[in-house]
Amino acid sequence: MSTISIERLSKSYGKFLAVDDVTIEIPTGSVFGLLGPNGAGKTTTFKCLLGLARATSGVIRFDGHELTPSLFESISYVPERSVLYEWMNGAEHLEMQRRTFKRYDSKRAKQLMDLFKLDPRKSVRAMSKGMRTALAIVMAFAINPETLVLDEPTSGLDPVNQRAVLNLIIESAAQGATIVLSSHQIGQVERAADHLAVLQNGRVILAGAVDDLKSDRKIVEGIFPSETIALDGLRRDSRIERLDQSGRILRLTVKADGGGLAETLSSMGAQSVRIVDLNLEDIFLNAVAPGSQTADVVEAG
Amino acid sequence: MPAVFTVDPRSGVPIYLQLIEQVKRSVALGVLAPGEQLPTVKQLAVDLTVNPNTVARAYRDLEHDAVIETAPGRGSFVRADGVAKQTRAATDVAGEAVTQAVREAKSLGLPAAGVRELFESALTRWFPEEK
Repeated sequence: MSTISIERLSKSYGKFLAVDDVTIEIPTGSVFGLLGPNGAGKTTTFKCLLGLARATSGVIRFDGHELTPSLFESISYVPERSVLYEWMNGAEHLEMQRRTFKRYDSKRAKQLMDLFKLDPRKSVRAMSKGMRTALAIVMAFAINPETLVLDEPTSGLDPVNQRAVLNLIIESAAQGATIVLSSHQIGQVERAADHLAVLQNGRVILAGAVDDLKSDRKIVEGIFPSETIALDGLRRDSRIERLDQSGRILRLTVKADGGGLAETLSSMGAQSVRIVDLNLEDIFLNAVAPGSQTADVVEAG
Repeated sequence: MPAVFTVDPRSGVPIYLQLIEQVKRSVALGVLAPGEQLPTVKQLAVDLTVNPNTVARAYRDLEHDAVIETAPGRGSFVRADGVAKQTRAATDVAGEAVTQAVREAKSLGLPAAGVRELFESALTRWFPEEK
C-alpha cells in the first residue's frame, strides 16, 4: 500500500508546458479521480507518475520513496490507448502477465475473463474497442495490484461493463489498494472516487475530498422586487465565489453552507430565497469555465 | 439484510450524508431493529457502487451519533439501547424534513404567518386526536 505524492511536478515538451507545477497527494486506499478537459495534462501526469516520461522538475514519491523497479511488481497501469498486440489472443496476453508478475493470480484472471465474457482464444485483431478495453482491465486486475493507474478505464464499454469496472475499482479500494483514474465521465468519478483534482492547461485548478467539495459549495438565489440591488456589501463578502445578476434574480455561488447568505438576501429585501446544492458537474464546470456553463466542456474531456 | 439503501451520486448532497439519513430513517421506522447487523463497509460499497471510504465515513458518523456500534472483527450493529435512540433518530430525520419544507415555502415567497398557517393545518390533519 502506498500514499502517492506528486510534488511540484512540471513537464514540458519543447516549449509546450504540459504539466505546470502540479502538487497532488493521493492517500492510501483512496480512489482518486483526475478530471479535466482534453489536453489538460492528465496522461502526462500519469506517465511521469510511472516513470514513463521524465519530469522536467518535481518529485514523485510512493510512501516517501522515489519509484524503484521493484515497485512495478505491485502497480497496474491501463493506458488510454491500447497496448495490446494485434496478433496475440487473450490467453497469450494473460500468459505474458503471468510471466511478468509474481503476483499474477490465474484463478482471478479466469473470473475476470468470465465477468466480461471474453473468449481467451479470440485474437485482439478480431476484438471490438470495448473488448480490448475489457482485456486490458482483466490484465490489470489479475495481478491483484496495490496501486492502479487507470487512464479512461471505461472507454468503449457498454453501461453494464462500465459498472463492472467501477465495482472492481471499489472492491480493490476496499481491500486497501490505491487507485488513480482519469475520466471525462463525471458520473463515474462521482460514484467511485473519494478524492479528486481538476486539471486545466497543466495546472490543478480544484482539488479535495469529493464530499467536502460538495458540502462546501452552494448556490443562493434571491429574487428581488426590482432590478436595483445593493451589491456593495456582497462584493466584499469572502464567502462568495461568484455573483451573477440577471434582472431581478441574484445568484451567489458560495463557499459556505448558504444559510447565512440566504438570511442576508432576505434582509436585503429579497422576496424569495432558495439554496441549491451543487453537484460535481456544476462544480467542475464552474472550475474549468467560470461564467460559461456549457455541456460541451464536459464532453470534450 | 432487509433494509435497502439507495444513493443518488448525481445529487449535490454528499453520498455519506445520504447514507446517514437513510440508516437513521430505517432505525426510526424499525426497519432496522436494535441489535441488527448492518452490511460490511465493503459489501455496501459494492452493492451501491460507491467509494468504500464514503461508506466508512457514514458508519463512523452514525457511531458517533450513537445510532450504531461497531464490534471489531464482528461488524456494525444497530445499537440496542432502545426506543430513546430511535426517537432521537426520528427527530433528526423529521427535523431535516421540516427544515426543508419551511425553506421551500419561504422560497416561494410566503411570509412566516402563512407558513405557520400551513403547518397548523397539516398538524390538524395528521394529529386529529390532539385537537
